[in-house]
Amino acid sequence: MKHTWILRTAALLAPLCLGAQNLQEFEKRVTEFTLANGLHFIVLQRPEAPVVSVLTRVDVGGANDPAGRTGLAHMFEHMAFKGTDTLGTTNWAAEKKTLAEIEALYDKIDVEKNKGPRGSKETLESLQKEVKAAIEKANSYVDKEAYSRLISLNGGVGMNASTSGEATTYFYSLPSNRLELWFLLTSQVFKNPIMREFYKERDVVREERRMRAESNPQGKMVQLLLQTTFLSHPQRNIIGWASDIENLRANAAEEFFRKYYVPSNMVMVIAGDVDPKEAKRLADQYFSSLPAGPAPPRVITEEGKQEGERRAVIDTESQPMLFVTYKRPNAFHPDDAPLAVLAGSLASGRTGVIYKELVEQKKLALFATADANFIGEKFPGAFLMYSVPGVGKTVEENEKALQEIIERVKKEKIDEAVIRRVKTQIRAGLIRGLDSNMGMAMRLAENYQLFGDWRKLFTKIDEVEKVSADDLMRVAKTYLVDSGRTVVHSHAPKKEDSK
Amino acid sequence: MRSAILTLFTAAIVSAQAPAPAPAARKAAPAPKPAAASRSYKTLKYPPMRELKFPEIASFTLPNGMKVFLLENHELPLVRGSARIRTGNIFEPAQKVGLTSIFGEVMRTGGTKSKTGDQLNELLEGIAASVESDVGETSGTLSFNTLKEHTGTVLDVFKDVLVAPEFRQDKIDIAKTQMRGIIARRNDQAGGIASREFDRLLYGPTTPWGRIVEHETIQSVNRQDLLDWHKRYYFPANVMLAIQGDFSTAEMRAKIEKLFAGWDAKQAPVPPLPAVSHSQKPGIFLAEKSEVNQSNFRIGHLGGKLNDKDYPALEVMADILGANGFSSRLMKKIRSDLGLAYGVSANWNANYDHVGTFTISGSTKSESTVDALKAIYGEVERIRSTEVTDQELQEAKESTLNSFVFNFDSPSKTLSRIVNYEYHGYPKDFIFQYQKAIAAVTKADVMRVAKEYIKPENFVTVVVGKSADFGTPLSSLNMPVSKIDLTIPEPKTATAKADAASLQKGKQLLQKLQAAVGGADKLTAVKDYMHVAQVKVLAMQGGGLQVTQTTKIIAPMIRFEQQLPFGKIVIYYDGKGSGFMIGPQGQAPLPAPAVKQANEELFRLYPTLWMSDRDPNRTVNAVSNDAVEITDKNGNYVRVTLDASGLPAKVNYKAADNSGNEVEAIYSDFKEAGGIKLPHVIKVSQGGKPAADITVTEYKLNSGLKPEELGQK
Repeated sequence: MKHTWILRTAALLAPLCLGAQNLQEFEKRVTEFTLANGLHFIVLQRPEAPVVSVLTRVDVGGANDPAGRTGLAHMFEHMAFKGTDTLGTTNWAAEKKTLAEIEALYDKIDVEKNKGPRGSKETLESLQKEVKAAIEKANSYVDKEAYSRLISLNGGVGMNASTSGEATTYFYSLPSNRLELWFLLTSQVFKNPIMREFYKERDVVREERRMRAESNPQGKMVQLLLQTTFLSHPQRNIIGWASDIENLRANAAEEFFRKYYVPSNMVMVIAGDVDPKEAKRLADQYFSSLPAGPAPPRVITEEGKQEGERRAVIDTESQPMLFVTYKRPNAFHPDDAPLAVLAGSLASGRTGVIYKELVEQKKLALFATADANFIGEKFPGAFLMYSVPGVGKTVEENEKALQEIIERVKKEKIDEAVIRRVKTQIRAGLIRGLDSNMGMAMRLAENYQLFGDWRKLFTKIDEVEKVSADDLMRVAKTYLVDSGRTVVHSHAPKKEDSK
Repeated sequence: MRSAILTLFTAAIVSAQAPAPAPAARKAAPAPKPAAASRSYKTLKYPPMRELKFPEIASFTLPNGMKVFLLENHELPLVRGSARIRTGNIFEPAQKVGLTSIFGEVMRTGGTKSKTGDQLNELLEGIAASVESDVGETSGTLSFNTLKEHTGTVLDVFKDVLVAPEFRQDKIDIAKTQMRGIIARRNDQAGGIASREFDRLLYGPTTPWGRIVEHETIQSVNRQDLLDWHKRYYFPANVMLAIQGDFSTAEMRAKIEKLFAGWDAKQAPVPPLPAVSHSQKPGIFLAEKSEVNQSNFRIGHLGGKLNDKDYPALEVMADILGANGFSSRLMKKIRSDLGLAYGVSANWNANYDHVGTFTISGSTKSESTVDALKAIYGEVERIRSTEVTDQELQEAKESTLNSFVFNFDSPSKTLSRIVNYEYHGYPKDFIFQYQKAIAAVTKADVMRVAKEYIKPENFVTVVVGKSADFGTPLSSLNMPVSKIDLTIPEPKTATAKADAASLQKGKQLLQKLQAAVGGADKLTAVKDYMHVAQVKVLAMQGGGLQVTQTTKIIAPMIRFEQQLPFGKIVIYYDGKGSGFMIGPQGQAPLPAPAVKQANEELFRLYPTLWMSDRDPNRTVNAVSNDAVEITDKNGNYVRVTLDASGLPAKVNYKAADNSGNEVEAIYSDFKEAGGIKLPHVIKVSQGGKPAADITVTEYKLNSGLKPEELGQK
């Protein structure tokens, strides 16, 4: 027996050493530097193929949207690929003048609209006609999608951006010999962003909201879940209210940019076939003239204490779904690692408790899982569980089954073998992630920006390793409590079957 | 599909084809200029592209016929592999569509001869490894992924799953349940509906390329089907195995040779794929979805294959029209100019082995549906009638050629491309041919292929949306508009064909049954009915539960009382569509599914069911010498099997939970009550598994039940 034990332990320890080795090996390939203006760069060398992934992460997101202008962070994100004063325009001087005219007209429109019922309908109509004409005029100077065409022409792929509650990220990949193009364009955009086609893009963003949050039953539910779980914290609304989006203004987006897109609030990562010395030279050349700015204001509003279960329901002809959240602290809290292991024990793979019970044994769900971080890491958030009930099974049955699991993990220790498995998987996941330039760029940027050090990506594993069965029971008892629970579900179709 | 195309590119050519500014030496960039206009990107000079390293792939064939490809990659301590099996859902029998989905899932979850699926889960997840199986349209895969130090363990599992899957019944049941859930949910996402219906229309809903899985087609899939499928397709000469990662080729080769030495299954070669041969009448097809404020659309027709002569020119054409992200004409027009969509794209989706589709897809707010469609049709017409500009041609070609290198940014892409070519019988240098062809495409080519291959008069346009909000109706587009019925067919029970003879025989059999149980007169004389039963629940969810049930009926009124360990449940149905439920937690109106179930119970009520031959709304049809099917216009269905004396020995019907399962009740211990022979022991199973044992302790017929008694709260 003893012999077996030693063998097993040896096998289990192997990946652990591997993780430590990896950090050492990995560190050799990472170069960091900060420019005088506060802009931080992380360079990861992966010379295997002549390609490079580039990424900018800005420490600003939907949670920073001003009141009445929700969706602004996301709207600015859309403007960042609209070009520069030399790219995307056929006549910048004329275009600039027209853009200013559009703003002046919208100022007048706002004045008229602000009068409410006392405003003049005729004045409003004529102003709207004028602004429409001005937009068309500005449009006539635009070289459509010049930025993305240029990147594409140079062999760039995967160009995109994303906005979450806590961050805005811009990224694409290039053949490595074209890296300077990214430096040039990115520096120009962040030195002088141009609100080109703002009001057309506003319609696009409105359409994006329809697609993600209004015409998609799942998206609709996630919106409601956010807005029921969080009553005051602004991460409750990342995409923005429809009416706010429809009234966003270019001048507000510019103001937002000036406040939050200061060098010290951004990190840039270059991962792939890159010479760090060359990267440093180009960074100095293109970004040192980016003016420093005061640190942006933090998000002030905090989520108040939840004092009882909250429930919300959506009527839909779609098949039912169930979401349950429990309030938890942010990722800087020492309980972050135990909560991650707890979620893993409940949800990972086919051995996770939730899958085994709800899907396999009780056959209540098509799919059911848990996630430790809803909906980010920076702000206090929630521990999420959700379930997709099977045919003829109700959300009530599913909720009850999830509840039983929660109550059990508060009373009984989770099996050591299960915890060991989850830890091994978290470590292996790290190693597998090293395979992708863009994946690594994202993780390095995120860990740097949240924790002040990209190494947290690796040292997190040590914290995970220390988690015990007692810790899991303790965090379950602390956080998975009725008073912190929010339940959101949709109603089964009113028709009696699945037509 | 785009990715299938991208994987066709290679690299050596990239440096040769690098666009104009490519000076040999890297020049120091000029110092940043102060203020004024920004420096133009046009002043940038790029160093030449670094030479690409091609990974070395070792390939060989084992004595049993299995082809193997090995690629060393020492960057990370990982080993990954994938077996490609020549099979596919295209070969499924029409009445068992969905078989391969269940097969793919249960091949892994159902375990092997030596280990159950759960044991495999524990073993693999404990070492953070995976072995997964899948069957797609025209091939199957079994893949693995492991940390280097567990390679031996994982390869053993991989081989075991490939060679000896056990397809245990419990996992088949789970997979079928999952599948039913997926079918039931298939109309939840508008985008999913649009893609599915578009493909069905283009390929033909009854052809192997266009048909979809239904409740009915998975119902009959059983373990033997899965075993047969494995036997037919999973034999060494039908498998290509590709492995890459942190190993030495010589050692891995020795390992593989040893591992598969004893596998010598043989089968006839897999036949070629059926041809695509559907011609859909063009027009607009509307699927109503009342909960959306945005329309999802697909526009197009059948397309071609990857090795068609004009494929490269079609690719360039599609890039300019709508495949090249934000830069395409459709995005510029529909998104940037009109602000009508978040995304819109056009793709020439060619396949390796069968005709693909030309598809324009996107979404727009309900009110602008017709405007968006018109604008799209306009762009299609423009690319067919006017040459593209030099700039557009150059941008489309160069973006393809300059991004070539991304097909070589990881060794695994090269490996899977090589295996793809081999699997589909494409030349090894296909990618080079393609690259050359792209470079040679002219403006005239683009217009020629647009004219020759894109046929707006053949367009099928699928719109999923809320037509009441369209503003301008679809009919204004001057094309025929048809509606798509999204109703999900319920599992049909295999009702036998009826003709005069079988109907006549059915009547005779039922009359034989009437006589055996006590005669038609006694049966028609039943005015009220009651029984008390002890029910032992055997199904997993309430396993071992003992319940006392009392049922009282004055047709069509039902009262049903159930004594459970935690309290009593009363269900009352008034026979007119409503009723109530009373339980330990209080009282509630009878929900719709319970009303449906009550009506089904009434249909099957013992005395009246046997008199179905006198009910004009019911059909009685013999399906064999001792079995009768009784159906009505509401979709109710019962099949009764008579014993030699004419008594009902077995009754089959559809489960009320819409699971598609059949319920089977075996009747025995007949005793007389009120002049009628009634079964006192009933064994019920559902979906082939025991569900309940029922012992009836008391029957009372015509005991003078009062309606108010039934409705008592």
